[in-house]
Order: sequence, then C-alpha cells, then structure tokens
Amino acid sequence: MNGVVVVTGAARGIGRVIAETIRGSGPLSVVGVDVSPELAHSDGIVPVQVDLTFGEGPSMVKEAVEQTGLPLVGLVNNAGITRDARLINMADADFASVIEVNLGAAFRLSTTLSPLMGPGGAIVNIASRAYLGNFGQYNYSMSKGGLVGMTRALAIDLAPDVRVNAIAPGLIASEMSLAIPDDIREKMIAAIPLGRMGEPEEIAGAVWYLLSPQSSYITGHVLVVGGGRSLT
Amino acid sequence: MSGEIRLPEGIEAGDQSLEQGLIFWAKPGAETWDDARNELTDAFERSRECARNDDSFVYIVANDALLGRRGPADAIVAAGLLSAARTAAIEGLKKGWTANVIAFDDGTEPAAMIERAIALLDDGLVTGELVHLGSGHIGKALA
Repeated sequence: MNGVVVVTGAARGIGRVIAETIRGSGPLSVVGVDVSPELAHSDGIVPVQVDLTFGEGPSMVKEAVEQTGLPLVGLVNNAGITRDARLINMADADFASVIEVNLGAAFRLSTTLSPLMGPGGAIVNIASRAYLGNFGQYNYSMSKGGLVGMTRALAIDLAPDVRVNAIAPGLIASEMSLAIPDDIREKMIAAIPLGRMGEPEEIAGAVWYLLSPQSSYITGHVLVVGGGRSLT
Repeated sequence: MSGEIRLPEGIEAGDQSLEQGLIFWAKPGAETWDDARNELTDAFERSRECARNDDSFVYIVANDALLGRRGPADAIVAAGLLSAARTAAIEGLKKGWTANVIAFDDGTEPAAMIERAIALLDDGLVTGELVHLGSGHIGKALA
C-alpha cells in the first residue's frame, strides 16, 4: 500500500494520534487537515489549515493531495465538536455548528475526494457510540448517526473500488472527555465492562485496520470501540 | 398546543389529525448537503418545540434510506433522525414524553403509517424504538 491518506481534525487529540499512527506504520504519506494552526507543528505530516465548513475548504484539500503526486488511498473523517444541551434548551447556533462540522464537512470532503480514489481505497468515518443515543447530545448524536448513514450509502455507491466504514468510539481519554465533570466521568467509567477509558491509540489502531488490506472484505460496517459500554 | 403532522409534499395521509405531539415524515430525495441539513434542522426545530411542551414525537423515514440505498444525503437524514430520536427518548424519560422512529418499505400506505405513528404517540410505553413496517429490513445490517 503506497500513497497518501487525508486525516481531518489532525491537530490534536484522537485525530493527531491517528495521523501519527498512519505516518509511522508504513510507506503512507499523510495530509493532515485542521482549522487550528497547531497542525503545522506535526512532524512528517503535510498540513492544510482550512475550515471545511466553508465553500473552498474541500477543494483546498484536494489541491494539497494532488500536489503530493501520490495516489489518494485513504480518507479519515475525524473532525468533530460538541455543544451539549438538553433538546429543550439547545440553541439554534449550537445545533447548526455541530451538524456542519461533524457531518457537513465529512459529506463535502468525501464527495470531493472520493473521485480521486481508485481500487483499494478506503474511507473511515469517526462516528461515536453516541449514535446509539446519549443524554444532552441531540445535535451530536444526530450528526454521528448521519455519519453512519453516509457510511452505508457511500459503501454501496463507491463499491467495488473503495471501501467505506465507520468507527464508533466510546469514552476515550481526550480533551473532549476530560472536559466532562469528574464525578460524571467516574460514573461513565463504572459502566464500562473493561473498567477504563480508551486511549486514542486504540482508536488509531482500529482506523489503521480499516484502512489496510487486512480488512479488504469489510465495507459498510460500524465498529464500536467502547470497552463494551453498549452492553451494560 | 395542537399536534402537527408534517408530511412531504405530495403525500396524502387521509384526514387524521393530532391533538398533541408531532409526526415528522422526512422528505424523500435529498441529494445535496444543503437538502440534508435543511431537513435535519426542520426536524430539530419542530422537535424542540414539541419537547418543550412535554409532547411526544415520531419520525418517519424510508427503510431504503436508512440502509443507505438512496444515496448519502437521504441516508444522512434517515440515520440522523434515528440517532436523534434515541437521544431524545433518554431526555424524555423523566417528563414522560417519548420519541420513536418508523421505517417503511416502498408501497406502504401513508394512512397506515400515520395510524401507527399516532398509536406510538398515544402509547407512552414505547420509546427510543425503531419500528419497521414491511419486510425490507429482514436480514439486513442495521443498528
């Protein structure tokens, strides 16, 4: 497998670990995409600082891929934000921003980049276990469910050349989860059969598997990486 | 507040009406991101109003859209509404209102779907559930 993989939300957290894991796992080059300037400091990753929710964003990523001169073999739609509130209190702006960043950006980038991908290509969408429902996250849950739906549709549309799968992480040690109040986070951990938060590297490992030829007969699948949380 | 049945253009579902609650039938044929976003936003705004009144709601989506057979924009709407309903169901537990989804096969009579939706609104015991009308889902992957 030789070529370039695009990773969104690559400046920090899970996205950064995904990008570094792919870069360190073999001959693949990585185009890291993020709205944050922190991205420029990532070693060995071609940075593209852009807001994917605006018109030219996906085209700028496409240009960056073409400038590498390498075939596009993978896309990881990882960028995501939360703006939590109960449905009755949810502000229009908080609904709109989560839907645009988590779902709209992935839709636009996937439709822009997928024509560049040939046989053996793979797309991995980072959804969330919240697509099964999670208190105070109507917007986030909807966005991640939408990603799951998009995964199924693109798996059909882009077959047989390109495989499309999703990962639904549970509680992962990241800035997003560390912002949860301690007492609530401890209750969440107590409900996880494996008894701990996941590490970003454990999501990156699942992403690498779904990008690689090891998963060559898997498409349209949602892989829940959550320590068994959905069982309890 | 009186209830609301929001139907896609061109769909006739008889003369059934609601005293309270919301039935939101997703428009078919979303092709672009703008189509999908506008539909999800419409569902959000109507559902929020409904929840503020402690009223239940039901989303109606096409089974084919849920399974991804009608393109990514339609799939985003159907699957997004399902996940949103699951979260809303959790939030409605203490207040006693419910949120459910009906997924239908092509050819299902619209009036029959509205009847089932009204039954779900009236029931109060079923919440966070995906109810399939037809057989198109059998043997297919969906969670």
